[in-house]
Amino acid sequence: MSRAELTGRGLARRYGGLTAVDNVDITVAPGKVTGLIGPNGAGKSTLFSLLTGVEKPDSGKVFLGGRNITRMHPDVRARHGLVQTFQVPSLFTSMTVMDNLLVGAENRRRDYIGGLLGRTPHGSTRTRRVMTRTLESLNLTGIADTTTGTLPTGALRLVELARALCTRPDVLLLDEPASGLDGQETERLSGLLRRVAGEGVGILLVDHDVELVFSVTDQVYAMVGGRIVAEGTPAAVREDPTVRAVYLAQGPLA
Amino acid sequence: MRSIDLAFAGVSIGAIAALSGIGLLVTYRTNGVLNIAQGGIAALVAYVFRAMVVDWQLPLPVAALLSLAVVSPLIGIVLERFVFRPLARRRASAAESLVASLGVLVLTVGMTAGIWGLGSRNDAPSLFPERTVGLPGGSRIGVDALAELALVVAVCVTLGLITTRTRFGRQVRAVVDDRRLAELSAIPADRVAAAGWAVGTILAGFTGILLAPRLQLTPYGLTLLVLETFAVVVAARLASLPGAVLTALAIGILQSELSQFQVTGEFSALYLAVQSNLFVAALLVLLLVLPRLRELGGDAGSTGRFSSRGAPQTYRASLTEQRRDVLGKLAGAVLLAAPLTFAPINLRDAFIVPALALIFLSLVIVTGYSGQISLGVAGYAGLGALLSAKLADGDLFGLPALPALAAPLVGALLVAPVGLLTGYPAIRRRGLALALTTFAVGAVMSRFVFQQQTFVSGLHVAPLSVAGHTLSDRWFYVVELLCLGLGLLVVRNLHEGRLGRALLAVRDHPEGAAAVGVDVRNLKLLSFTVSAAVAGLGGALLMLSYASFDADAFSPLNSLLWFTAVVVFGADSAAGAVVAAGFIVTIDTLAPAGSATLAVGILALSLGWLPGGLASAVRHLVTRLGHRIVEDLTEPGRAGLAGTGAGAARAAAATSVSPAAYRQPAGDGGSPVLTPFGEALLARVRQVLHTSGRTQ
Ligand SMILES: Nc1ncnc2c1ncn2[C@@H]1O[C@H](COP(=O)(O)OP(=O)(O)OP(=O)(O)O)[C@@H](O)[C@H]1O
Ligand SMILES: [Mg+2]
Repeated sequence: MSRAELTGRGLARRYGGLTAVDNVDITVAPGKVTGLIGPNGAGKSTLFSLLTGVEKPDSGKVFLGGRNITRMHPDVRARHGLVQTFQVPSLFTSMTVMDNLLVGAENRRRDYIGGLLGRTPHGSTRTRRVMTRTLESLNLTGIADTTTGTLPTGALRLVELARALCTRPDVLLLDEPASGLDGQETERLSGLLRRVAGEGVGILLVDHDVELVFSVTDQVYAMVGGRIVAEGTPAAVREDPTVRAVYLAQGPLA
Repeated sequence: MRSIDLAFAGVSIGAIAALSGIGLLVTYRTNGVLNIAQGGIAALVAYVFRAMVVDWQLPLPVAALLSLAVVSPLIGIVLERFVFRPLARRRASAAESLVASLGVLVLTVGMTAGIWGLGSRNDAPSLFPERTVGLPGGSRIGVDALAELALVVAVCVTLGLITTRTRFGRQVRAVVDDRRLAELSAIPADRVAAAGWAVGTILAGFTGILLAPRLQLTPYGLTLLVLETFAVVVAARLASLPGAVLTALAIGILQSELSQFQVTGEFSALYLAVQSNLFVAALLVLLLVLPRLRELGGDAGSTGRFSSRGAPQTYRASLTEQRRDVLGKLAGAVLLAAPLTFAPINLRDAFIVPALALIFLSLVIVTGYSGQISLGVAGYAGLGALLSAKLADGDLFGLPALPALAAPLVGALLVAPVGLLTGYPAIRRRGLALALTTFAVGAVMSRFVFQQQTFVSGLHVAPLSVAGHTLSDRWFYVVELLCLGLGLLVVRNLHEGRLGRALLAVRDHPEGAAAVGVDVRNLKLLSFTVSAAVAGLGGALLMLSYASFDADAFSPLNSLLWFTAVVVFGADSAAGAVVAAGFIVTIDTLAPAGSATLAVGILALSLGWLPGGLASAVRHLVTRLGHRIVEDLTEPGRAGLAGTGAGAARAAAATSVSPAAYRQPAGDGGSPVLTPFGEALLARVRQVLHTSGRTQ
């Protein structure tokens, strides 16, 4: 199945005098895992916000499946299949894990009158199946009925990812999903990302765990000071002199 | 030189509004609290002043000195010390401060009404002599206008000098900048805050005393008038003192000038309405057109602030909880149905309960579930009342007269589009801006519709009838209960199931909700729309309960009182809404006027001290009472319903076919043992609830 491609063209966003994102072109291809690396403050999260509509770009355009979505609200984009997770998990803390997933699963379509009359959305058995499968694949079944407000950060990230997956997205933007996870969990995450991409979903992955990024992605962008400084296959970007310089200044790049 | 004379006349009212605005600004800048209670305090001081002069025969200057230099600042200092300082200490949200100041408003109005009654008086003394003096050029200006203007100038100059020239002023500026930082540098922030409150309440006192002689003095009327001067601080974006003063004078003068023109024809009524309600009109218009009222933001009314209990209990509630829940609902139903056994005169009083409960439910929807402040609910309620009366009369857009029973429902449905329309500006606003906008909408509806002869004259409120037979009081109450049931059903569907989850998601984390496709804006619109319709139905029933359309019943001040009551009893609790209605009506019937208002005010303030507020205690009490009633009804040993004793009942229960869950043996902390009848009833109720819960 062919899903939508997400592209940003000439995106820029300034905060006062600071240019957080500076004329960035980026493509998230369907069925591929695309990585985005860069030091703290490089503008990765800001770029995410521009792509998902949380922030409006000062200039530039965003296309989803060839359609200009620059002026769409974030929720409309989400209903078109563009879904993100946040650097700080954005869960509904008074609800259980299961209910969080349900919100993800049942809002692609709107049915207010039905809701007011107490009618349930169609295909709810399918919804349940998707949710159960997602929970299993992230090893969350045990905490399905736990209120998310009480969970540790690592679990929160996984639940947020699960919630995003339950929307059955076309393009998935993940902001540091592996931070706070232990080695085993990271491994499971990496397998899951490959599998989800295998189903045709385009994934954009931001993470400071460069090992994870380089091992799981097909294409990597490196961002410094709001600009894309390198792009290409993981191997090529790893060898890029600019990238090496930036990361060497911070510590060894594996 | 009529224009000039009129301008001078307008200066007077403008100057008073300016004083009110300055007071609000000073309190806001020093404390970060928009003192909604300003109106209530003004009215209280005005009544105290009047009592001193008229009742106690004190000389005018002494009375003025006592009320303005002693009573007024004392109110401010007490409020700061006992209400707002504790809130600031524990870094309460702006929403909590807003509720607290609403609580103070309700409390002060309740006090005034409780002490001096709700009746109107026209013997309020004027502070300044009612003379005019000649000016060069032949015009004349009132001494009062001159004095008021001088007062404004003096206050502005003094405030300016204090803030720029004195040590205290520097401290004030430091506190205004950043209270915590100021405290760290050993600045007595509390003293600054208290001074801010004292100045604010002194100016409120001036406002009240100066306004009182200009109108038929009533606690509600004066309070409302002062609230309308909020237009001034909105124009000043809660920041600029000169901005507030100039706006106040401009509106005052314009209002006065407009009175010289005669507009005839279709628009004469509208023109007159605008002219005499320029402050309200300005308030709404300013709130709608001023772009980005960021200063009014804060986090007041941001999503989730008014909810205490979180997610609805879905299908995973334990059996004990379910049992409690069913018992609670049953108890509520019994309590609500109890008035059917009352004598007719008391039944009439009870009429108001379901009507008010519906109005409260509408607030539960918009504030509790959707997390948005709505201070204009009386507007929707009144509109529902008006429309349903006109529908029943066949007086609306040439529509044929509807059967009386259908009119309230159709009227309520017609309010829905109004809710939708007014929801549009609301979803783009947050915090104080949202609070003020919704208030302004309600106030405009009241002034421009409910109080206009064009709309309400000759309105005939016929009692409900079916096929030509007028419903008896009992049957009317039954109809009301059915309507309430309908409202509860809508509320339930908005709380549980897909919509409920989506609304809760928005309340918990708006960005997160949007990121997975929850349509935040339309959900908010939906809740505004549904809430308006529910309020409309409640309003229609309220009108039918009173058997007449009374604009005062839908006063914007009632919006504030009702909102406070709902928050106090748990904004996201449908049961709380019904309890609140029962509470208010009970107190109002049993105690003198104003008592319910007073009680709600006290409860609101208690929110600041007690976790969960006194109201949770009251709620608990009512639940307990309900359980007792159920016990009495179900355990024959107590009520003697059947010939069997308690032991036999227990034996019967143990062998009955009802679900095992209800055969809870002893040890479940005093839960009642049910008769077979009770068991069967509960089982049936549970079954219904259970199946409807399963379908989601
Ligand atoms: N709302 C904002 N207002 C002002 N500056 C901002 C805002 N959001 C981000 N910035 C600035 O923009 C720059 C980029 O921030 P961004 O969060 O996008 O970086 P990042 O690459 O995600 O960093 P990290 O790896 O730490 O998450 C930073 O310098 C940040 O301070
Ligand atoms: Mg980031």
